[in-house]
Amino acid sequence: MADSHHPNYKKIYFTLLALLVVSVAGPFLGIGWVTLLTAFGIALVKADLVVQNFMHLKWEKRIVKYILGASVALMVLFYGAVAPDVQKHEGRNWTNDAAAAAVARGIPGSHAEVAHEEAAPAAAPEGHAADSAAPPAAPAAPAGFDAAGAYATTCATCHGPAGGGDGPAAAALNPKPANFSDPAFWSSRSEAELHKAIREGGASVGRSATMPAWGSIYDDAKATALVAHLRTFRK
Amino acid sequence: MSSKPIATSRSATGVPTGRLAVWWVLASEVVIFGGLLASYVIHRMGHPEWHAAAAVTNTWIGAFNTFVLLSSSFTAVLAHQAAEHGDGKGAARYLMFTILGALIFVCVKAFEWTTEISHGYTITSNGFWQFYYTAAGLHALHVIAGAIIMGFVARDAAKGRELHRVELIGIYWHFVDVVWIFLFPLLYIAK
Repeated sequence: MADSHHPNYKKIYFTLLALLVVSVAGPFLGIGWVTLLTAFGIALVKADLVVQNFMHLKWEKRIVKYILGASVALMVLFYGAVAPDVQKHEGRNWTNDAAAAAVARGIPGSHAEVAHEEAAPAAAPEGHAADSAAPPAAPAAPAGFDAAGAYATTCATCHGPAGGGDGPAAAALNPKPANFSDPAFWSSRSEAELHKAIREGGASVGRSATMPAWGSIYDDAKATALVAHLRTFRK
Repeated sequence: MSSKPIATSRSATGVPTGRLAVWWVLASEVVIFGGLLASYVIHRMGHPEWHAAAAVTNTWIGAFNTFVLLSSSFTAVLAHQAAEHGDGKGAARYLMFTILGALIFVCVKAFEWTTEISHGYTITSNGFWQFYYTAAGLHALHVIAGAIIMGFVARDAAKGRELHRVELIGIYWHFVDVVWIFLFPLLYIAK
C-alpha cells in the first residue's frame, strides 16, 4: 500500500539542508556555470527529494504522475511558444524597440544611489557650461528645469557625459548614438529635427529606433532647453 | 450506514478521492506558478540590465527562509507519519511546529519587504521588482492559506478525528515548499 511507506525522513531533511548550503556557497566561487549548476541544478535535486519522499509521489499511483506531468508539459509548452517572441528583441521581420531601449537605458530610478554617482560628476561641468556658454537657452527653459541634470539622467547613458556618443551603453548599440561634439552632426540636422527626435523618438525622424521617445517627461519647452544644452557639446 | 462524505470513502482510481483532489489542485498550481516563473525567466533573460536590481535582494534572508520552509516540510511529513500510526496528538503537535514555521517565514518576509520598500524598491520600480513582489507575494499567500487550513486540521487531529487530512494538508505544504525551492535561486541567487 502506498500509505505505509516511510523512508528515513531525518536523513532526507539533512540532505536537503546540505544542498541548501551548497546552493548558497556556489556563487562565492564566482564561476558562472558553477553558480548556474549549484543554483538551479540543486533546486531540481531538492524539489525531486521533496516531491518523491515527502509528497510520496514515489509510491503514488501512476495516474497522479500523469496529471502532474501534463501540467509541467503545459508550462514547458508555454515557455517554448512565448520565449521566441518575447525573450528576443528582434526577429527576421520585426524588432521590439521598446524592450531594446529599456535594455539600453538600464534601470532608471531603481538604483537611486548608482544614478546619483553617475549624475554627479557629469552634471557639474555641464551645468557650468550651460550657464556660461548658452545664455540664449535660459529664457526658453521652464523655471526650475535643469537641462544639464536631465541630460545626465536620461541621455548620458548612451550619448556620453560629454555628448561624445560614448556612454556606457553605447558599445551595445548599432547604429551608434549620435555624437553631439561632432560638427558634422550639427551641419546635418535642424533643431526642429532634434526637438522631434527627443519628444517622439529616433524613428520619428528616420534615425535609430533605439533612441526612445521622451515626450512623456519632456514637454516642448523642456525639449527646447535640452536641444540648447546639446549645442554646448559642439566642438 | 456511514455518514461519511463520499470524498473519503470512494475511489475509482485507486487513489483516495480526497488525495486525488489535492493532486488536481496542485496540477493547477503548477500551471499558475509555472506560467508566472516562466514569464519571469523569459523577461529576465531578455533584460540583462535587471541584474542591477536583482543584486539588491538579500541572499541570506532568502536562504534563512528556505531553511525555515524545509524544516516545516520535515515536521509536516512527521505529522503524516504520526497520523498513520493513529497518533492524533503527535500529528497535531508536529503540525503546530509547521504552523510556527509558516509564521516565522511570513514575519521574515514582512521585515524583508519593509526594508526594501523603505529603500524605494517598490512593485512599480521596474520589471524585476514587479516579478519579485508578484511571485513572492503569491507564494506568501499560499503560505498563509496553508497555515490557516493546517490549524483546522491540527485541531481535529488532536481529538483523533479526520486523521487522513494530515497527509492531504502535508502534500499541499510540500508543494509550497517546492515552489520556494525554485523561487530562491530565481530571485536571490541569480545576480
